[in-house]
Amino acid sequence: MTGADEPLRCRGMRDLLSEEMARFRHVEGVFAEVCRDWGYSEVRTPTIEYLHLFTAAGTLSPQMLGRVYSFLDWDGWSGERVVLRPDATIPTARLYVERFPPGEVARLFYIQNVFRFSSGDDSREDWQCGVELIGDTQPRGDVELVLLGRAVLQALGLGDVELRLSHAGLVRSVLARTGLPPEEQVSLYDRLLDGDLSVVGQLEGRLPDLGAALHLLFGVEGEGSGYLSNLRRAFLPAVPEMEPALDELGVIVETVSGLGHRYRVQAALARSFEYYTGPVFHFWVDGQPVGSGGRYDGLIALVGGASVPASGFALDVGRLAARLPATALASDSAGTLVTVMPASNTPGALAASYEAAREMRARGYRARVALGPTPESEGWLLGVEETEEGCRYVLREGASGRRSAGATLDEALAVLEPKRARGRRTGGGP
Amino acid sequence: MIKLALPTGRLRTRVGNLLQRAGLPVQGYGEGSRTYRPSLDERRAGLPAELAGSPESVGPVRLRVFRERDIPVQIALGNYDLGICSLAWVEELVCRYPSEALVPLRDLGVGKARLFVAAAPGSGGLRAWAGRWGVRIVSEYPHLAEALAMSLRLPAYRVLPVRGAAEAYPPEDADLAVLTAAGESGVRALGLEPLHCLLESSAWLVASRQSLAGKDLSPVLGPLLGLDGPRRVASELALPRALPGDGSTERAGPIPRRRVAEGGTTSPATGSSAARKTVRLALPDGHQQPHAAACLAAAGLRFTGYDEKQAVRRPRSELEGLEAKVIRPQDMPQQVALGNFDLALTGRDWLLDHLYRFPDSPVQEVVDMGTARYQVLAVVSEDLPADTLSEAIAHWRGSGRSVIRVASEYPGVADHFARTRHLGRYRLIPISGASEGFVPEDADLLVEGSETGKTLAANRLKPLERLFESTTCVIAGRGAPPAARAALVERLVDKFREGRPLPSQARRPQAKGGAAPARTVV
Repeated sequence: MTGADEPLRCRGMRDLLSEEMARFRHVEGVFAEVCRDWGYSEVRTPTIEYLHLFTAAGTLSPQMLGRVYSFLDWDGWSGERVVLRPDATIPTARLYVERFPPGEVARLFYIQNVFRFSSGDDSREDWQCGVELIGDTQPRGDVELVLLGRAVLQALGLGDVELRLSHAGLVRSVLARTGLPPEEQVSLYDRLLDGDLSVVGQLEGRLPDLGAALHLLFGVEGEGSGYLSNLRRAFLPAVPEMEPALDELGVIVETVSGLGHRYRVQAALARSFEYYTGPVFHFWVDGQPVGSGGRYDGLIALVGGASVPASGFALDVGRLAARLPATALASDSAGTLVTVMPASNTPGALAASYEAAREMRARGYRARVALGPTPESEGWLLGVEETEEGCRYVLREGASGRRSAGATLDEALAVLEPKRARGRRTGGGP
Repeated sequence: MIKLALPTGRLRTRVGNLLQRAGLPVQGYGEGSRTYRPSLDERRAGLPAELAGSPESVGPVRLRVFRERDIPVQIALGNYDLGICSLAWVEELVCRYPSEALVPLRDLGVGKARLFVAAAPGSGGLRAWAGRWGVRIVSEYPHLAEALAMSLRLPAYRVLPVRGAAEAYPPEDADLAVLTAAGESGVRALGLEPLHCLLESSAWLVASRQSLAGKDLSPVLGPLLGLDGPRRVASELALPRALPGDGSTERAGPIPRRRVAEGGTTSPATGSSAARKTVRLALPDGHQQPHAAACLAAAGLRFTGYDEKQAVRRPRSELEGLEAKVIRPQDMPQQVALGNFDLALTGRDWLLDHLYRFPDSPVQEVVDMGTARYQVLAVVSEDLPADTLSEAIAHWRGSGRSVIRVASEYPGVADHFARTRHLGRYRLIPISGASEGFVPEDADLLVEGSETGKTLAANRLKPLERLFESTTCVIAGRGAPPAARAALVERLVDKFREGRPLPSQARRPQAKGGAAPARTVV
């Protein structure tokens, strides 16, 4: 803090210090590595997009739209508004439309931030690790993404992972049954997406013959394939339009169940996102949601492309980083850090010190040159002395007193621990 | 001290009468008064003895006159305890920036109006626009227009904020207008068809929640709440519901952005204006009108329905192929950039304000008409112990002011000035008029136009720096107009050049018959 009346950091924005960044990078690195192992490739979309990508019906819910950061750009004289990306799926759909041949299967992943206004001090910038599988076919794409998401969470060492499943068609088929005009159905659906469960009471009034069944749909969380059977029995006689949704959900439930994964089924999971059209899933860890996704078969056409099926998910990097087990970062050990101590500030001594540091880095060690006369921290110190024969290197550890010296760098470094490993999980993010 | 914000403009007389009726007569707030700091006539006010303040009203009750739209902002900022303004302006603020800081207390029963969504006759009902691509909505209430577009789930709408005359835009230059009128017949009298009523508006007494919670406002609240009249809750904004659009059926390809200067915007209602054959000229209303009329006369251009004193929205020209429309001069740069007009007569101040906001905008000055000459200045309180901007900044910083408040009717110019002159941490307060009253209580620095400096001095203000000189000018798009219009555009520009007054004549506006000067003379 500066002591000023107001903080200099914008409300809802966070600084990440070294330890938090290490956790962030670990999550990003593991996510990227798993995605690549599954055959996905990384993309990045711009921070600023046109507002109109997000305003059409079938994109974001009104509540979410009301939280976007929109403004007129420097060239916004025409009234064209832009937004700070409030969602990563819609920009990726736009990228697909503009950069991929229509219908081509694209297995994409990204690590990027989204901006949404939150009241008070809640976070207004969140980082997401996301996957979009565009051009896939149901049900393989849905099953693959559920399993890919779980694979990432397992690779992160997160133990108690719970899967919550739903299908956008469950609610939509009930709303269609009300006979309400399309705009009223959209309004009720949006209210459900935004968490307004008073809609259930209205639906009971419109569909008295479904009253008890509606409670089964909205008030009971299913824990097995039996729940889907119950929904079939309760709804299909009156709402036969629900059958395809139950069939699609059934395939995923049976598959993940067969693989031994724990899951629940809920009616209305697709919070704030209108674009989901098929199966929807959430990942929970330790009783907290850490990611979500689903099928959005209408979105590619909505942003101007052909009608291409697609699905995807996004994980919240911040929430995952906060839940990493203490042992998770051990594999990211960056190796021994050596501080090179110049003998003096003469050009020759400085050049010799920086050259020694460069050679150490080339050998896989981390090295820095001390900026002051005393080392910035304890640890391994390398003295570089100029002699008549050349340089002499003296390596010592302040705490233990261990010491080695030699006319060559390799001789002095013989006492050090193995060099750091390169190329594994060194970050997939920015 | 209780701080009460009062509206200028159309509500001024009615609110003045209402205050009188409530036993709070105000000096300097009547018809025609230009004072921004009126005072309670305490001899007649019947206020409790402890509230009888000094004649300058710097005592227990401080009054300040604002443009209506600025009043909710001032109360939400906590600068004023109470205010009187239309409910529509309260909704305009809170629909974009939801806040509990503003509390509508009671309908004062004057200034009744309804906020409508309207379109040109024959363009269909509101449902006809749902799901359509690129709908243009013009309004003095841009946040409410934005809320309407989002509620309708329009896929690629444009909101065109204007300072006034929204009714002039449909169908050529906008598809929908959000505007106030007394009723549906009032909308039709403006030449539009009402499609939907968004709000029942009237003048309301509004309060700062913080002030209500912790300050005794009863000496002013009591008389105003005790007035006879309606006792109703503030009506809710009635946004229409969305129709599910498929997002593609109405789409005609990417919205033309760079092409607009060459040919105009594409409207779902009227199609591309690139094919337009007629040349369109925008003429100003308000204070610029007599100057523009003089410029037209000097250029040998005559319009039926437009002179120093009167104007209809669509004056008729004697020249074949020339159309004119009367709109606010502030809105002209954007309209020319959009390609809706080939030429416009406006002030350089509005052009520069637009260009500072949008450096890439394809609009430029083509003729300096030399009239309505005044300086745009950085202005501070006369009491500020500084003669230069550097001294002023040093004083503000030295006195612990962490944020310098910069108010202006020219937000683009003021923002550019604050950035390039290194004001450090500053807060821009865009205002819509009554600007001289802002300093020093509600702003530290004002960017403002001044012709003689007399009004500045009368309001105890002094200039620190001159930013630029503004005159009436002809503006046009940067690109060449389409061939069908090029010859007439060139001919008109030549006429304006030939009609420029000599430098000695340009010093004074050519207004006749006691018409209003070109601008608030300051």
